[in-house]
Amino acid sequence: MALLARVADRLYWAARYLERAEDTARIIRAYHDLVVDFPGDVVLRWEPLVAISGNVVAVEYDPDDYSGERTVLQFLIADRRNAGSIASCVGSARENLRTTREVIPREAWHTVNGLSHYVGSNAATAVGRQTRDRFLARVIDESRRLDGVIDSTMTRHHSYRLFRLGRLIERADMTTRVLGVRAAALLQLDAAGDDPLSDEVQWMGVLRSLSALQMYQRATKAPIEGEAVVRFLLFDASFPRSVQCCLDEIRSIVVTLPSPQDVLAALDRADSVVGEARPIASDGHALDDAMDQVQLAITELDRAVHARWVSSST
Amino acid sequence: MDELLTDDGAARPAAAALMGLIDQLGTTTLVERQQVAELDILTMGITFTVYSDGQNIDRAWPFDIVPRVIPGSEWDRTSAGLAQRLRALNMFIDDLYNDQRVIADGVFPGGMLEESVNFRPQCRGIRPKHGVWAHISGTDLVRDDDGVLYVLEDNLRVPSGVSYVLENRAVAKRAFGELFARQQIRPVDGYTDELKRLLISLAPDGVTDPQLVVLTPGIYNSAYFEHSFLAQRMGAELVEGADLVVGDDDCVYMRTITGLERVHVIYRRIDDLFLDPEAFRPDSMLGVPGLMRAWKAGNVGMANAPGAGVADDKVVYAWVPDLIRYYLGEEPLIPNVPTYRTMYEDERRFVIDNIGDLVVKPANESGGYGIVIGNRATADQLAEAVAAIEADPRNWVAQPILSLSTVPTLVPDGEGSHTLAPRHVDLRPFVLTGESSYVTPGGLTRVALPEGSLVVNSSQGGGSKDTWVVDGIFEPTPAQERFEQRQQQEHADQWQAQRQQGNGA
Repeated sequence: MALLARVADRLYWAARYLERAEDTARIIRAYHDLVVDFPGDVVLRWEPLVAISGNVVAVEYDPDDYSGERTVLQFLIADRRNAGSIASCVGSARENLRTTREVIPREAWHTVNGLSHYVGSNAATAVGRQTRDRFLARVIDESRRLDGVIDSTMTRHHSYRLFRLGRLIERADMTTRVLGVRAAALLQLDAAGDDPLSDEVQWMGVLRSLSALQMYQRATKAPIEGEAVVRFLLFDASFPRSVQCCLDEIRSIVVTLPSPQDVLAALDRADSVVGEARPIASDGHALDDAMDQVQLAITELDRAVHARWVSSST
Repeated sequence: MDELLTDDGAARPAAAALMGLIDQLGTTTLVERQQVAELDILTMGITFTVYSDGQNIDRAWPFDIVPRVIPGSEWDRTSAGLAQRLRALNMFIDDLYNDQRVIADGVFPGGMLEESVNFRPQCRGIRPKHGVWAHISGTDLVRDDDGVLYVLEDNLRVPSGVSYVLENRAVAKRAFGELFARQQIRPVDGYTDELKRLLISLAPDGVTDPQLVVLTPGIYNSAYFEHSFLAQRMGAELVEGADLVVGDDDCVYMRTITGLERVHVIYRRIDDLFLDPEAFRPDSMLGVPGLMRAWKAGNVGMANAPGAGVADDKVVYAWVPDLIRYYLGEEPLIPNVPTYRTMYEDERRFVIDNIGDLVVKPANESGGYGIVIGNRATADQLAEAVAAIEADPRNWVAQPILSLSTVPTLVPDGEGSHTLAPRHVDLRPFVLTGESSYVTPGGLTRVALPEGSLVVNSSQGGGSKDTWVVDGIFEPTPAQERFEQRQQQEHADQWQAQRQQGNGA
């Protein structure tokens, strides 16, 4: 079975967009948990989340929106001008799968099509607190359902592998972004003086936003502590959202694709960057720098995948 | 006349079970089933693309729940007539590009060829497999007041709509499951496998496991949904022009992640002129340079063959009955609509004198564009049509205004609810011609939704219906009947309960 380079490109991006939509939904939920845990007189602002979508655009804040909540969530959930918003990501995933229907299982298309219609008619109202959580939960559930359909009904062929690659690369990237957001929050709180909320509660929020809390607790006998959380999310080879675990899984897929040498080289570099990372969980600057390094390595990996398999000029 | 009802409003025999059920369900339940069908269409992603306000928009496919019903015995004759027509048309095309016997024998005027915009001199001397050029055709049929089905036009280039025949059936089966259990309705699902068989038969000699591709102009094409659908159903690759390349060996390859892979058969959904910038329009971005070379060398099969459109021109149409007699020595089984050719002085005078009672059509447009319906046009429009005919008589034909038959259709009643009212329909069966012929049982029924309208094209607001070729009706056994009644009752109760809840909330 052949796989057209153009189709490979679309599958890879469909997977990345879906993973990004799912992870963004997850992060918003967890951040909301954290915000409401803060004592009433301390305002935890929402701006750091804008960085998740890799955007540095100037978001215009309504002066009445004192914590930035509405503005930031409008931007992250519903704004079609933001290519990284949930609405845009789901729309792009649908478009990429609509144009590769011949290679994906029919049910996979039905799932993403259904999700896209749901997001299209509900994203605008999901910015408010009343319906937000249900909306975000649905985005996460449908994205996982799609993975389930693909996993249980799609032939293990290059098309399947490109889809998985897209998922995993985006997932590794989003894990580093979550840690980056935590770093930004630390900096914000440092500037504000005393941290009003225990470190433990905040790191718990980080774990939750990666659906990692329970598995972390099982893996670590000690109480929750920043350094251990960061190590877990970067290095734990058995937790599926850790950067290292994503890279290992990427490697197991890459070796089954044709002529993978260049991509394996990029993967080796990413492995060593992650291995050498010495992020200091209590220092916002150090954590931020470490995450930047890992993100750069992932970007290089993405470029290598593109150059080798998905650029249409093969 | 109505396809389902007699003049006094009784159900025709083949539609008796359907109309009986509709009466029993009542409008409320019928509307509810219509809404469920529309939701199915949305979630299954059955769409078509319209170009509007400078944008291509992916729209839900319009579907009316009440099917058109055709008795099996009538369909058998129609089906034989379609296969006959396509055999003759293919012999005609093959003859035009080779010996031109038909012209030498004085059956078809040779002057027509020089003026035809669909004749491709590049195809002279080519002999495709089985002598077939138009492998896939969508022939439009209409029924006039006299009850006769006429061929309205032959579409031999890249006819579309067959995906909706299959998808409409999938939706109708859910909507009217009980009727499918009770009568013999001919299945339509076999089409894609027949098409695959046909395409495989076009592979170059000696190729045992041919690589099939569907060549699409791309995701903005109005029929992209169908291109994707057919590729899915046949397990073929869906390719765009840029995915293909013709090598120095005159073979066609596609660009895959493992490098170039040979392509053996192309089901192309791109118009001739855009297929190959080397042979046709040099500015085509959709095509593949060298494709014609590869095809002529016999290194790739192509359906439909380039140049097949020479025979679906609306002027050539007028000769088809003669062509059937000439090539097959048979009388046409399905009649043509009487057609006036304005290229002939006497026929042109007649058309111009009677333009208010005729439909005037451009010879080479499709999708219903450019048509002037005499009794609906303004005086200015008629004058424009006359001027256009006089300026370019070869490019026009005229036909009597047919009154298309109707099928009851669910339409808004103007008071916030719906009612069944007659709406005009046509029918597009799809015919496959290769070593043998295959005709879809029924076809795509298109319906003009505004009252009195005759424009059925989906690009212009038309809808669609499932088409049932019904062979026999079985009386339900008492057990079946009790079961169905119980289901309907339970359903009605649930509906009622939901509505009460809804009101209470």
